[in-house]
Amino acid sequence: MVNVLKGVLVECDPAMKQFLLYLNETSALGKKFIIQDLGDTHVFILAEVVHILQERVGELMDQNSFPITQK
Amino acid sequence: MKLRVQLQCKNLHEYLKELSPEILDRLYNHPATCLAVYRELPPLAKNYVMRMLFLDQPLPQAAVALWVKKDSEKDHDQCVSVLSGLRLWHSQQLQGGLQGNILNPVFKDNLRIALLGGGKSWADQGDSLGPDRHARDVESLDKYALERWEVVLHFMVGCPSAAVSQDLSQLLIQAGLMRTEAGDAPCITSAGFQFLLLDTASQLWYFTLQYLNTAQTRGMDLVEILSFLFQLSFSTLGRDYSVEGMSESLLTFLQHLREFGLVFQRKRKSRRYYPTRLAITLSAGVSANSSSTAMGAAPGTGDSGFIVVETNYRLYAYTNSELQIALVALFSECLYRFPNVVVAQVTRESVQQAIANGITAQQILHFLRTRAHPVMLKQNPVLPPTITDQIRLWELERDRLQFSEGVLYNQFLSQADFEVLRDRAQGLGCLVWQNVAHRVIVVSPQGHGEVKRFWKRQKSHT
Repeated sequence: MVNVLKGVLVECDPAMKQFLLYLNETSALGKKFIIQDLGDTHVFILAEVVHILQERVGELMDQNSFPITQK
Repeated sequence: MKLRVQLQCKNLHEYLKELSPEILDRLYNHPATCLAVYRELPPLAKNYVMRMLFLDQPLPQAAVALWVKKDSEKDHDQCVSVLSGLRLWHSQQLQGGLQGNILNPVFKDNLRIALLGGGKSWADQGDSLGPDRHARDVESLDKYALERWEVVLHFMVGCPSAAVSQDLSQLLIQAGLMRTEAGDAPCITSAGFQFLLLDTASQLWYFTLQYLNTAQTRGMDLVEILSFLFQLSFSTLGRDYSVEGMSESLLTFLQHLREFGLVFQRKRKSRRYYPTRLAITLSAGVSANSSSTAMGAAPGTGDSGFIVVETNYRLYAYTNSELQIALVALFSECLYRFPNVVVAQVTRESVQQAIANGITAQQILHFLRTRAHPVMLKQNPVLPPTITDQIRLWELERDRLQFSEGVLYNQFLSQADFEVLRDRAQGLGCLVWQNVAHRVIVVSPQGHGEVKRFWKRQKSHT
């Protein structure tokens, strides 16, 4: 029988995907949200975590950026 | 799953193509319109129209196809589609049974009148009213136009000093550039931000298109307004024209134009009006201006650009205008303000704030390019590559993940099952992603119902 699952397909680069796997492992969003790992660049996740995920990604990018200019 | 609304500025032809055939035919009744449309055609199409202008019989399509060399087939086809899209010509059966082309007779007559003279005069000159005691010269007209247009933009940015009429703010809300919550003053939308960063000609054209779209709901005649607009674009700057013979709705339209700064009229009841530079460049529309972004002089200020961008992300805007300063502050952090300069810095936070408001990196760069100081224009490329690349990268940072809703199908029992379902989904156009090696497909939610039904039918057959 075919398995049918509802969710959201996420496309990203491999580095970002590792970050998603890490968030999943540590249940940083409160629960495991990855339904299926679909390859190097795609994952299938729960629909409701989309917003928090964007925020987390934003935080990651903020952590890795340093203000290059001085006022 | 953000949806970024992109502001689309259609050019004249695209707008005309969308009108219904009867309106187009009525529109071509006026020589000014025909000339304006003719002006905007690609050169090959202009050639065709010229050749067929004085013919009274249809010309076989084969003959027309012979006018171009074998390798310019593509241009010929493009021409044909442009001309048919605008209903400038249509096919007709010739006596021999071949298909022929003939120019739209209304268009033909009126273009002839436009080129050779004759017919009714387009606009009454103001001579019949005698010399104007309060005559305005070109400079003051330009200043007036600039002032009025800036008031509209100021109102959008939210400066409390700018006040516009109820009508105009209604129009802005209908155009999607501002939105109003119940009872509150209108506030700007993301489309509005994008609008602010365009150059004046595009802004004017976009605004006019919105106005034309709502004209019918207001009970105004679209054809009359369009013809008047084209007429204006052919008038001479600095010359006054009389309002003799203009209908009610045209007079209302004139008042609106007065508010945008497209015409000048001393008083509401004045019998003469002066078109300003904005009105005359209006019908040139977007197509002419979008190709000249690199060399565009700053719109509205009348003279050259005023922004200098350095490779250390500093921005110097040599201007006093509140509006321009507000626009620069949309995507950069203002550091210092002097009587004739504003020093700002383009930072990651400021650019990402702008992007969160709905502005794209492309628009920011277009804004900087069109208002670049002459000193900047000497270098090639105009903006330093570090800055352009970095602004684009800051925009991409937010787009690292792409989301699409879907339904996952996996664990197929056989390759054949997988292929049947996959082909069905592809046929319906709702296949989002597939992995043949693991036999997994993702289908869009809209298509899921149909695919599920199909699968159940398959199961019950086998």
